[in-house]
Amino acid sequence: MIHLLSATVHQITPEGIIDRYPNSYNHFVLPFVIGITFILIYLFIGLIRILYHLSGEDRIKLLKSLFNPKTAWKNIKDIFCDCLLHTKIWKRKPLLGYMHSAIAFGWFLLIVVGHIEVWLFAPRHLSGLTEGSLYYPIFYRFFIWINPAHETLRGSVFFFIMDFLLLYVLSGIGLAMFKRVRSIALGMRHTTKPSLADRIALYCLWLIFPLRLLAEGFTADLSGGGFLTRPLNWVFRAFFGNELNFLPTWWAYSICLGLFFIAMPFSRYMHILTEPLLILFRNAGLKVRHPRKGFAEAEIYACSSCGLCLDACPMNAQKKNLKYSSVYFIRFLRRHNKKKTKEIAEKCLMCGKCYALCPVGVNSPAIRRAIRETQNNSINCNYSYLDTYAGKAAEVLSDKTRGKILYFAGCMSHLTPKIIKSMETILQASGQEYEFMDRNEGICCGRPLMLAGRTDAARKTIEANTKIIKDSGCTILLLSCPICLKIFKEEYSLKGIEVIHYTQFIDRLIKEGKLKVSKSSSAIVYHDPCELGRGCGIYEEPRNVLRAVAELKKASKEKDESICCGYSLGTLTLDEKDKAKIAESSVSSLMAEDPEEIVTACPMCYRAIRSKAEVPVKDFAEIVCERIENNDKN
Amino acid sequence: MKNNILVIGGGPAGLEASSILSRMGYNVILAEKEKLLGGHLAKWDRLFPDQVPAKEVLNDMLGRMDGVKCFTETKVNSINLLENSYNAMLSNGITVLADAVLLASGFDLFKAEKKEEYGYGIYEGVLTNADLEKAFQEGKKSSPAPRAIGFVHCVGSRDEKAGNPACSKVCCATAVKQAIETKELYPEADVYCFYMDLRMFGRHYEDLYLRAQKSGIRFIRGRVSEVAETAEGRLLVKAEDTLSSKPLKVTLDRLVLMAGMRPSKTGHDVGRQLNLSIEDDGFFSAKDGLQNLQKSKLPGFFYAGACTGPKTLPDTLHEARSAAMEIDRYIKENFRK
Repeated sequence: MIHLLSATVHQITPEGIIDRYPNSYNHFVLPFVIGITFILIYLFIGLIRILYHLSGEDRIKLLKSLFNPKTAWKNIKDIFCDCLLHTKIWKRKPLLGYMHSAIAFGWFLLIVVGHIEVWLFAPRHLSGLTEGSLYYPIFYRFFIWINPAHETLRGSVFFFIMDFLLLYVLSGIGLAMFKRVRSIALGMRHTTKPSLADRIALYCLWLIFPLRLLAEGFTADLSGGGFLTRPLNWVFRAFFGNELNFLPTWWAYSICLGLFFIAMPFSRYMHILTEPLLILFRNAGLKVRHPRKGFAEAEIYACSSCGLCLDACPMNAQKKNLKYSSVYFIRFLRRHNKKKTKEIAEKCLMCGKCYALCPVGVNSPAIRRAIRETQNNSINCNYSYLDTYAGKAAEVLSDKTRGKILYFAGCMSHLTPKIIKSMETILQASGQEYEFMDRNEGICCGRPLMLAGRTDAARKTIEANTKIIKDSGCTILLLSCPICLKIFKEEYSLKGIEVIHYTQFIDRLIKEGKLKVSKSSSAIVYHDPCELGRGCGIYEEPRNVLRAVAELKKASKEKDESICCGYSLGTLTLDEKDKAKIAESSVSSLMAEDPEEIVTACPMCYRAIRSKAEVPVKDFAEIVCERIENNDKN
Repeated sequence: MKNNILVIGGGPAGLEASSILSRMGYNVILAEKEKLLGGHLAKWDRLFPDQVPAKEVLNDMLGRMDGVKCFTETKVNSINLLENSYNAMLSNGITVLADAVLLASGFDLFKAEKKEEYGYGIYEGVLTNADLEKAFQEGKKSSPAPRAIGFVHCVGSRDEKAGNPACSKVCCATAVKQAIETKELYPEADVYCFYMDLRMFGRHYEDLYLRAQKSGIRFIRGRVSEVAETAEGRLLVKAEDTLSSKPLKVTLDRLVLMAGMRPSKTGHDVGRQLNLSIEDDGFFSAKDGLQNLQKSKLPGFFYAGACTGPKTLPDTLHEARSAAMEIDRYIKENFRK
């Protein structure tokens, strides 16, 4: 109140601001200056390294993307939402989101508003290094003296804003400390074990803001202050009397900042600076080509080690297997521990949940695949028979398939003949003209090979299948296996042919009135297969259909949080018992609302869940088939 | 006063042990969940290696059952250990206070529909070993006669993915026996056996195998990968011939799945109430695997037969007899001082 009154009475120009130190220098700034210099040099070298390891093609792609207004806008938006506001965490766990945004966005604003303040009131200190522009805006409150009689409204607004922002950050830090003690309160069951550098950086980070509050509190009678620092100053004066006590606090503040910056490159906090780079790379459409260098390096350093993937990872069905989660995988990658990274890369189910839930969007499954790619070069198989086979198969199909649907069941549907039988019944009942691409034999879609890192072999099967499909002249390629669907969508170039999963296709048939189904009162739950949901983003079509045939219940984790059935083709080394444990945890999530039946839309999931569930398990096509209304009642 | 002994399960092990214990002078109460005594034996037509009719063997056993109180269609609803005896409530309302209990719950056949790639329950021509025995018992003969018939060994056995890495011990000999019988029934038909390796370990088993080969049964070393239906409704079986290292396709009319042995579900229901330990394979764990096969970790609680793992019929009968001896010794040591 006093400020406001004095401000209105006295002049508005900031003439009351005087540098307390003629050179605007004091020894206490040294730790900070050393720290910030170190981190800037480190960042510069790191950036050059990463750019150097990108392929030439990728560098051009990146450069082009920076000048494309659409991607540029997306870059800005993503950096603002993901790095500062942490909207992804907000959406899932509001309290955790608040904590992250308070620290990140609050700190960011403190720096920005602090600089604006200096730019307005002491602009010469931003003009060059000689005037201490590296540290001056950070320690602004130390260096100045403001005649209380000359305080302006503009100045008081800044006092208020800065104190408010400090409070905002402090609330985040408070939550962070609380999280260390009780993580579950913020919605996390498991958290990561911090490394030594993580600890140093963490404790510095915790101390920086309380120390800033103390330091600015000590000087608030000289530099001026807002609703936090000013009362603090009164308290201090009442207790300590001599205002010269404050120098050690400023030293401590500076040391913590310096130490934080020095520990940063070796700690998880490197993600703060790497994430924007990752966003630029991702938006430019770059892909992981090497498991450790270039794009992968940006991903590795962008990992915030927050541990959200620990709760996400299906391996958490057993505590001993938590070590296979992405966060530890990335940590071992960062430390160049080849033995461990290979082990984890091969163990992973590649269900993609860690990637889907990662607040930073680190695509660790892609890095795992890149590692697998480097491991399997010794196996040489002969695929020469594929060409002759494809030629023959194409000949058989080409005349009769033109303009029709081509149904490809794939290896896994062949192991679950009920799916194929149901599919044929549905196609016939809805009067569809179709041909069966692999009734007696067929070529693998290539996805299992791709997942195993055997890209070249996968390319061969892709080539052969592409020939058969293109020569057939079909207009729609219908698939009943989401494992096939994913690779057909991502790696095949089938222009003019619609690649469609049976869940989408049946949904369409029902909507167009070509297939009539009746609704039963039985309660069912739907399991989202990894390859269909997180892999291809198909969540709603199967649910639309299931709601039309039964009462659809919810699983405790579903859609992009669905728990892998455990029998994914993605894992190369996970043993049967571990798979069974994961299947059990998947089933227990599905049983949350006591459904009478479980339905899924993937032959692998179907087999896995059926081996563990107490209630009947049905394939999507099977349940639709049971509910087809007989059209030919005459 | 006669000591009460409760025998759970009325298959070969339960029957054999009951008749012996009854002759030893004990008061034996036998609980069998099914309508008829005999367990799987009652559902079998002939037994390997000598093709003795199962009915004869079973009738011999039943003939010795005088004096045993048999309750059929009766389950053990609850059982608990009192100070030194067991209190069991049976589903027929009777409560038994037994000084010793013999668990002879045997096995369940692996549910062949779990190996969906073989098409059991989906294609008409696919049946299990038990289905075939039933058809033999009923004297059914298909017409027209099947032209080609296959036997798949190790269905749900030695198969980690099916949840059972162990061998079921009896299926190889059973498959060879059934193949011979099928060939005898349909001499014109081609009969195939798809095996991993033939475990013909018992006396006369090899003779049976030789007889099968001589009668023209073809043995293919390799697992069946999948079964599909042809347009004519026959079965297209894909397998691998690992001796010639080539994939193989045959069209059959009938495919018999040699479903293996899994632990009995009713046995588990009893075990759970007494906290009996179960090994990784799902079967009960004996006190030790060499000297105390019939004993459990509980005093006065004994095992016989396939509840502690797959066994042949002679093995089961031996165990039943040793269990009777162990029980007799236990009662004498603990109740008659």
